[in-house]
Amino acid sequence: MEQEPRIGVFICSCGTNIGGVVNVPEVTEYAKTIPHVIHADHNLYTCSEAGLTAIKESIKEHNLNRVVVASCTPRTHEPLFRAACREASLNPYLFEMANIREHVSWVHPHDPEKATRKAKDIVRMAVAKAALLEPQTEPEVEVKGSSLVIGAGVAGLTAALSMASQGFKVYLIEKEKELGGIARRLYKLYPTLADSSEVVGPLTKDVESHENIEVMTSASLKDISGYVGNFNAVLTGPEGDKEVDVGTVIVAAGSSNYTPPKGLYEYGVHDHVITQGELDEKLKKGEIGEPERIVMIQCVGARKGEIRPSALEAFPKSDTAELLRKILKARKEEGWPYCSRICCMNAIKNAILIKEKSPKTDVVVLFGDLRVYKEYEDFYRKARDLEVRFIRHIEEVRPEITRTPDGKLQVMAYDALAGLEVKFPADWVVLSTPLIPSKDEIMLGRMLKIPIATDGFLMEAHLKLRPVDTNVDGVFIAGTVSGPKDVSESIVSGEAAAARASILMGNGKVRTDAITAVVDEDLCIGCGLCEEICPYGAPRIEDGKSKIREILCRGCGSCAAECPKRAITMRHYGDNQLLAQVKALLVPQSHEGGLT
Amino acid sequence: MVKENLGKVAEGEFEPLIIAYCCNWCSYAGADLAGTSRFEYPTNIRIIRIMCTGRMDSTLVLEALRMGADGVLIAGCHPGDCHYQKGNFMMEKRFDYLKKAVKNIGIEPERVRLEWVSASEGGKWAALVREMAEEIKQLGPSPFRLRSIPKKTDAAIDAFKSQRLRWVVGRSQIKVEIEEQKYRQTVDLIMQVEIERHMITLALKEKGPLTAEELSQITGLQPNKTMQHLIALRRDGIVIEAGEKNNQYLYQLV
Ligand code: SF4
Ligand code: SF4
Ligand code: FES
Repeated sequence: MEQEPRIGVFICSCGTNIGGVVNVPEVTEYAKTIPHVIHADHNLYTCSEAGLTAIKESIKEHNLNRVVVASCTPRTHEPLFRAACREASLNPYLFEMANIREHVSWVHPHDPEKATRKAKDIVRMAVAKAALLEPQTEPEVEVKGSSLVIGAGVAGLTAALSMASQGFKVYLIEKEKELGGIARRLYKLYPTLADSSEVVGPLTKDVESHENIEVMTSASLKDISGYVGNFNAVLTGPEGDKEVDVGTVIVAAGSSNYTPPKGLYEYGVHDHVITQGELDEKLKKGEIGEPERIVMIQCVGARKGEIRPSALEAFPKSDTAELLRKILKARKEEGWPYCSRICCMNAIKNAILIKEKSPKTDVVVLFGDLRVYKEYEDFYRKARDLEVRFIRHIEEVRPEITRTPDGKLQVMAYDALAGLEVKFPADWVVLSTPLIPSKDEIMLGRMLKIPIATDGFLMEAHLKLRPVDTNVDGVFIAGTVSGPKDVSESIVSGEAAAARASILMGNGKVRTDAITAVVDEDLCIGCGLCEEICPYGAPRIEDGKSKIREILCRGCGSCAAECPKRAITMRHYGDNQLLAQVKALLVPQSHEGGLT
Repeated sequence: MVKENLGKVAEGEFEPLIIAYCCNWCSYAGADLAGTSRFEYPTNIRIIRIMCTGRMDSTLVLEALRMGADGVLIAGCHPGDCHYQKGNFMMEKRFDYLKKAVKNIGIEPERVRLEWVSASEGGKWAALVREMAEEIKQLGPSPFRLRSIPKKTDAAIDAFKSQRLRWVVGRSQIKVEIEEQKYRQTVDLIMQVEIERHMITLALKEKGPLTAEELSQITGLQPNKTMQHLIALRRDGIVIEAGEKNNQYLYQLV
């Protein structure tokens, strides 16, 4: 930078969140002594309108060319402060944050003195980095007005229809012969008890007849390359391969039903032990009739054990596909750790259907926990009014399958309320099993480079704030690929994903992050190591030199760490910038702090 | 530079300073969660945010140690969870070599750690800092804060900047034809050789032309080792003879 750094430092009290522990005025006075700091001030809330205005005005008044805010975590507030800089005509990359809340006041509440010293260190480090920051431009790319939707269950169908009706071209691929996914095989839907076909039918018809939608069945994604706005996908189906160029991708590939291992509750051994899904089909075909008693067992294979990230450590070296194969195998035996969200309602729905047809049939639901929420409570009450019997067993003591003296199927359970063992001779035993990640969906995640959560489902970019985005720009998720959902929730997520994709396609262009790798061509010897290392295929050797395509680069920095000639620099995270922080901490020149 | 602070170490209780390079997506977020959850831990850690542990050039760790850090922690996502898929695997690979180099320059290897902390492991983060701060307190201040920094440290940093060592370490990140164990041995060997050669070139840079015998004395390398390196350095066009002294060749940098 030609210009001398003129840095403004704004220290936030965050009400008493920071100020209650850290001596904010002292840190502010201290900040004024750090080289290059022209202005330092503190506010009650730097992120408030007043705080932001103060930053913008100081930039003008003191002719600041760098800004440091010492407050909370950059992971949530950096965009806000960057925007303030931009509004004051300061390049947003000339901004740096010092985290003195999450990393100081909140974790050292009982040691204000050391906390204050640490806050000073962190501010000094941030200033040192700020002095070396450079302005960056976020590359802008064109976004094609077309989308690829993978999976034609209700979520995929909804997303396709929504985008198509906004005028975008949609390619919809489905691995099965027919559209409709899991919902197509369902009988009735809760809580309306409408025929599933009443939902799936019209949706399918609308999709099939829409002029903007091209449907391919018995098809799958063979290969995909490119980046947000410009993906190139190879689809493969009965008629061979087809290449399409799309701006966005929505993954709505669904999940599968957990099939209990043979022998669990005599599943696969006794033919009157079936899953809730199989019961659905039998009800549809009228194969259940008017039996004396049906016993349902909840949470079979669900809410079992735990998959912790550390469980994955057992296989650190294997690649994801291998890892997931192992997980799937282990889970088949041990069950899945989460609540599958839909099984309670499904059981209640089928219980009601049976009772309405055959009031004399005794329907018993054995559960550890029953999870019905919002208006579904009414649905549960309806089942109770119909005299469905809900019996809670102690979670740890699972029901068991035995035989009556005359050899009839019988379920034994420990009734938690009555405190005794109960026995139910049963004509049918129905196991409520969870929705689980499917192998196909996991491999798809791999291909698209979407992270896979430890439970095997595709991971959203942020569980709360960005539920249908993924970490891959331009790729969204809908339906049960990211975890169990019922039909209406799948529709909601389909609409949501379509809306997110349409924002990109509607704008026609998008800015991507400026934190990318840059090659110094004078140093590069064209060895090609970066090309082989990069997980995104960003570097390419052309005329003996590495060219990193900005738009593909995600800024991980692996190539910079390995380049034999040290020819690669990371924007915004250069060696000099990182080391300046280290140096500011350990070797301060003219002021207190550092090693003591 | 660091010596200025020497006196201060003696006074009062020793409070180690630990640098933590945390990846943005998991460990930095994990440290944030420790805050949100109000898990308390000692004040000895200073976090530097990086995008991914894959970005951690070994020299960033060695430089921090040279500047006197009592400990360096590199924290990233659990295997399989890296935001960029395999940055942490790459870090893990290079960490083996880095640790050897750390030992080589006379720093207790326990001062440098690589750990996986996910965004949901605030508790693990707090426990980790507690544990590391305690361990380093036991070890005492970094040896580099108490005595002058051995020349070998500079040589090691130069070695990790050298094309040859970087090339072999970098190659180990991708599928190599030869057996892993053998490959590691090769890298270890090259690392050793590069550090020694850089000790020689550093001595020549500082002191001007020297004989092999003088070089042996300064670097502490065996005379035949020194000679071997000089021959190689001469072949690579890095040193050249510069006259004679006591019937021995003098060598200087080209
Ligand atoms: S690794 Fe470095 S030297 Fe090799 S091609 Fe890439 S940029 Fe050039
Ligand atoms: S920084 Fe990462 S994503 Fe970018 S080119 Fe290098 S290895 Fe690829
Ligand atoms: S992003 Fe955390 S280690 Fe790569």
